Amino acid sequence: MQSLQLIRLLVGRELTLRYKRSVLGIGWTLLNPMLTSFILWIVFSFIFASRLPDGTQFAPYLMAGVLVNTFIGQGIQSASEAIAGNGSILTKVYVRPQIFTISSALASLVNFAIGMLPFVVVVYISGQHLVWTFPLVFVVGFFLALMIAGIGLMLSILYIRFDDARNIVGLMLMILTYLTPIFYPINILSERMQNIVNANPFTSYLNCIRWAASNNSEATLTNWAVVVLTGLITPVIGTIIFKKFWPRTVAML
Amino acid sequence: MAVIEVKNVQLTYRVLMNRTGSLKELFRDAVKGRVRINNYVALDDVSFTVDKGEVVAILGKNGAGKSTLLKVLARVLPPTQGSIEVNGAIAPMIELGAGFHPELTGAENVVFYSTLLGRDIKKTRAKLNEIGEWAGVTDHMNFPLRTFSSGMVARLAFATATAENSEVLLVDEILAVGDASFQEKSRNRMMELIGSGAAVVLVSHDMTTVRSLATRAIWLEAGKVVMSGDPEEVVTAYENSYH
Repeated sequence: MQSLQLIRLLVGRELTLRYKRSVLGIGWTLLNPMLTSFILWIVFSFIFASRLPDGTQFAPYLMAGVLVNTFIGQGIQSASEAIAGNGSILTKVYVRPQIFTISSALASLVNFAIGMLPFVVVVYISGQHLVWTFPLVFVVGFFLALMIAGIGLMLSILYIRFDDARNIVGLMLMILTYLTPIFYPINILSERMQNIVNANPFTSYLNCIRWAASNNSEATLTNWAVVVLTGLITPVIGTIIFKKFWPRTVAML
Repeated sequence: MAVIEVKNVQLTYRVLMNRTGSLKELFRDAVKGRVRINNYVALDDVSFTVDKGEVVAILGKNGAGKSTLLKVLARVLPPTQGSIEVNGAIAPMIELGAGFHPELTGAENVVFYSTLLGRDIKKTRAKLNEIGEWAGVTDHMNFPLRTFSSGMVARLAFATATAENSEVLLVDEILAVGDASFQEKSRNRMMELIGSGAAVVLVSHDMTTVRSLATRAIWLEAGKVVMSGDPEEVVTAYENSYH
């Protein structure tokens, strides 16, 4: 009970602080994915738009990619940072440290949900419309938040122990960005590369979200299975690893 | 039933020699077989119990393990060996104002800090005025904490931490914050809490305080219990040890 209250407070706190720091406040969360997508659209629409399968629109395809990529990238970075960043709290009072990681992942989910507003606008501008499966976007988003929390738990041990873990993780995330079909249609790749990209679990998340929102991609049964399984298993593994190393790590906060 | 039960607690810090905090350098050193780990024993086989209403004072020089012991009792540091059992809500009066954020308002900070201490959010909201008034910052509660003076922040933290009675009180020196009049007020509140029947563990260098408040004293040296028992006797022995 107390933990739930604390999680609610922490999510609210992270969001308020984020908006208090920027001049545009919450407007920035709405504008940022639109601007990023717009730039990418200008750059890539000539190359990629014609390569998409029939019935797929490039603008919502791109924007879903940008939103999911932001969710993953910023989500993993801030979830991994959450415990190290709240070290001054954890060395003063007893709180289960996992609460900070979970709250951070949930805050990223809320941001993603806010980003859905401009996304819907783009869907309609591009001539598509939302389909009845749209609410599933948030279900997939929730599973993604769980996975991010799990990864965050594993990485937070490294973040506390090593200052350069951030840079290394940043680099990995960049590689991951290119291994997810954010701005390119997957069929432009060689078969070997397609296999690699399809093996990336985040590709499954993205496919499911694009399909659920406006039928803008195919989502196979395997994709759905990957979403559910990674969403459920990653936090379990993350918790096990975290609990193993935490007693020795806490003194380094 | 004992409120606090400490059994054979050992706490070892693992210190990585030539620690750089860099994953790359650690990897390089590991490849070359140059990673050395030293164990630093901060607490060694410490056992004691504290009953309801008891005030146990911990004595010892700097580095004897007193603060580590308080942190272990506060469950902030998990012991390497042994076990700790605490029955009841803990008020760690160790470092006040955990999680205070300058951009959030006084009221928001009080609510957050109280929730961290494991208190119910509704009860805290109902008590906000009382807390603000006690700290003397009623007019500022809806302004960001960065507009507070440092004294006001300390008073607000103290008022929040002591707003509810707890079964266990961990005290690192009798805190006296703020100006002279608030110092007296906060000191009185501390005494009131200590006298309220809570189980108290007190770390202090002030032997007068220990003599007047403690019902038992434990003398720590290099993480080990040297002597434990009647405060008068322990304090005398402790004082004689360095004269």
